[in-house]
Amino acid sequence: MLQFAIRRLAMLVPVFLAVSLVIFMIIHLVPGDPLEHLIQVGSSPEQRAQMIARYGLDQPLLVQYGRWLAKVVTGDLGDAIVMRQPVARLIAENMPHSLALGGAALIFSTTVGIVTGVLAASFRDSLFDRAVMGFILLGSTLPSFWLALLMILMFAVQFEWFPVSGARSWDALVLPALTIGIGGTALIARVTRAAMIEIAGRDFVRVLHAKGLPFWRIQLRHVLQHAMLPVMTILGLRIGWILGGAVTVEYVFARPGLGSLLITALGQRDYPLVQGCLLMLAIAVMLGTLLGDLAQAALDPRLREAMGAR
Amino acid sequence: MPAQHLTTKRGNGMKTMMTRSLLALSLAGLSLTGLTATGAQAQEATFVMTARLVGAPTYNPTKATKLNTATTLIFDRLVVQDADQSFHGQLASSWEASPDGMQWTFKLKPGVKFHNGEPFNARTIEWWVPQFKGTENAFTVEAIERVEVVDDLTVRFHMKHPDPNLLFNLATSFMCIPEPKSYTALGDKFGVTEAIGTGPYKMQQFSVGQQTVLVRNDDYAWASDLSANRGPAKFKKLTFREIAEESTAYLELKTGGADMLVNVPTDFLPRIQADKAVKLVTLPGNELVYMPINTSVEPFTDVKLREATAFAVNQKEILTSLYGGNGAAADTFLISSLKESQVEPKYKISYDPERSKKLFDAAGWKAGPDGIRVKDGKRLEVKLWTQNGTEFKRLVEIVQAQLKAVGMQADISIIDAGSINAQYRKKTEHQLAIRSYQWTNADIVDWFFAAKRAGYPNVSMFNDPEAERLNDIAMNKSKTWEERVANFTRYHEYVLSQYAFAPIYQPAQSLAYGKRIVLPQVIRGTGLYGPTMLDIAPAN
Repeated sequence: MLQFAIRRLAMLVPVFLAVSLVIFMIIHLVPGDPLEHLIQVGSSPEQRAQMIARYGLDQPLLVQYGRWLAKVVTGDLGDAIVMRQPVARLIAENMPHSLALGGAALIFSTTVGIVTGVLAASFRDSLFDRAVMGFILLGSTLPSFWLALLMILMFAVQFEWFPVSGARSWDALVLPALTIGIGGTALIARVTRAAMIEIAGRDFVRVLHAKGLPFWRIQLRHVLQHAMLPVMTILGLRIGWILGGAVTVEYVFARPGLGSLLITALGQRDYPLVQGCLLMLAIAVMLGTLLGDLAQAALDPRLREAMGAR
Repeated sequence: MPAQHLTTKRGNGMKTMMTRSLLALSLAGLSLTGLTATGAQAQEATFVMTARLVGAPTYNPTKATKLNTATTLIFDRLVVQDADQSFHGQLASSWEASPDGMQWTFKLKPGVKFHNGEPFNARTIEWWVPQFKGTENAFTVEAIERVEVVDDLTVRFHMKHPDPNLLFNLATSFMCIPEPKSYTALGDKFGVTEAIGTGPYKMQQFSVGQQTVLVRNDDYAWASDLSANRGPAKFKKLTFREIAEESTAYLELKTGGADMLVNVPTDFLPRIQADKAVKLVTLPGNELVYMPINTSVEPFTDVKLREATAFAVNQKEILTSLYGGNGAAADTFLISSLKESQVEPKYKISYDPERSKKLFDAAGWKAGPDGIRVKDGKRLEVKLWTQNGTEFKRLVEIVQAQLKAVGMQADISIIDAGSINAQYRKKTEHQLAIRSYQWTNADIVDWFFAAKRAGYPNVSMFNDPEAERLNDIAMNKSKTWEERVANFTRYHEYVLSQYAFAPIYQPAQSLAYGKRIVLPQVIRGTGLYGPTMLDIAPAN
């Protein structure tokens, strides 16, 4: 298992280098630059040129990339040009909010998704199955900014149960977490349901039924355990997505977070900050995938064998 | 004022029609009960800053390129500017310029102290001015050769050259005065972890992009005459929240989560006006929406075609149909509170479709079968650019229809706000554009029309020898403020006569507030800044 983990970790190094190059090039090739946000009325074209040189933006892109990467590997993400603060500090300030929101949303979508998926599979093709899956599907297809406003109007304006926006108290987390969580619930519920149905049709489950084990015991102790493999993969992928995919929700609920920071940085073409945020999100996706793989390997010895680690 | 403010993002990518529709429909269906009893206490108030005020990364006025409303509560300036553009002493009690404009002497108010107890005096100014060196705000003190401490409360600026704009620069937020010892000790953290000034409030907590919490400076006793209240502020604690999404900001005000919405978006005005729980105050605007015309590409190399195009824009129709009559129709390049905007009537550009059509006819552009003009077999088709954002999209569609009414087909391109300036710098890709700026000084004419800045910010690609001559006089040869006003008026008139743009609209500044606070009868200053905040009081 350790060998498997080391091998998977080693595979992340070339992926990291490729991702860092793509991140750097994409933001630099988009028209616009951060100086638009620094230039003051009355400054001359010469002053603009001086600023370009001051921030090293007059160097060839590959040189700029090399300098940035050299810093990154030592843990230095540089300073934001427009924000005027170390990128690492800005990310560190926003990361806890993203983790709280993403974590809460993930817990909600995982719990509700798995429970719903198990129930839907257990009552396959019943009215309950169709109603619940249809309702979840509807929730997941609503645009998140629309759903977010709907949540605010219902639960903050009408019922006054939660604050409209902000991140000043625990209850401010509820509506944004639900908004994001509902989107993920449908996916997890559908994957769980499909896997449960597929596993339930296997011979060993028929044998368990023939032995007279109670239905729910079979479903929860045997079928669900096997059905968790594809769910683990989805969860691993969603960790990264949930950190950076909350942009709209963070925006509507006026919450801090990596998504909001990234959007601000993109609007300002603040290269070091965009690169830092994207790199963090890429790392989150890579680690999420790794965790998913490790969890799968832990659950399924065949996978470890397939990877050559015994 | 950072360039970001000049390329004002009216609207936002995420602020969609769908969002607004949902909000309107849902509010209509919900029985809103107005302000709730919960929320801020009587001695506390929460203000919400929306889109364009969001995201100031620091309260270091010397080094920042973007500041927000709270800055002028933490810090004071030597002078402040009123809505009529007159200047009033804040930390300066009086000032005088020598006849040749080479010396400015400022008398400082006695007894002023920073939040940490350090005294404010002439030595502070002597230390402060050199701090701008090497920063993006260095232009503000560029004309000052050296600072002389005459006595403890008198300071004299010796100038490299006359700068009649000095008072304007001193009145900007970038010239708020920080406390020297903490500024030096904190380095880059000044303005982020701590911000110490002489203002009526002390910074208690600052979270970038989220909120700033201020507590009252009980020793404050040196307000400018723009405030009726010359003593400490009336609220013990102020919270400035930053909410980029305007619908959310509005709902915070509706539910009592906020006491004031600073800078109400224009398309929320009808809803707020209809809401009895919320009051609305309108201040003179400092923004102008206009349509630059690229003078370097056909057919607009011909001044007559530019004139015809400029007179085809119906400013009053836009004011009425798009902005519900809020604000004013623009007929020059400058906001109306600037003296330099008072040009001779013949230079003003206001909708005149007959004049427009005659000019097109005279230039040989005759109406084709579909109404679009044709000359030598070529149709009058042009490119019309703007940046993304709901308001810009609506505006550009109205202008497109107005141009079509005189026989010009304008094809719209909506370009990302972060990219559009880079596209302008290509110089010949665009022909017409809809954009706006926010600025309260006539030197904005130089910024947008000087030949050396062709592409961006000179989107009009205006390059005219006479304009350059008048620009040089206005920018560099004026010795006094009056002379500067006269010189800029002439320069402004000449640019108007060349039809390098069409003026469109001058928005008003609107503030919406709830029942828990009371605003002064007259709001002084160029917007909601420190002087007015001193006069805002709890309702009971």
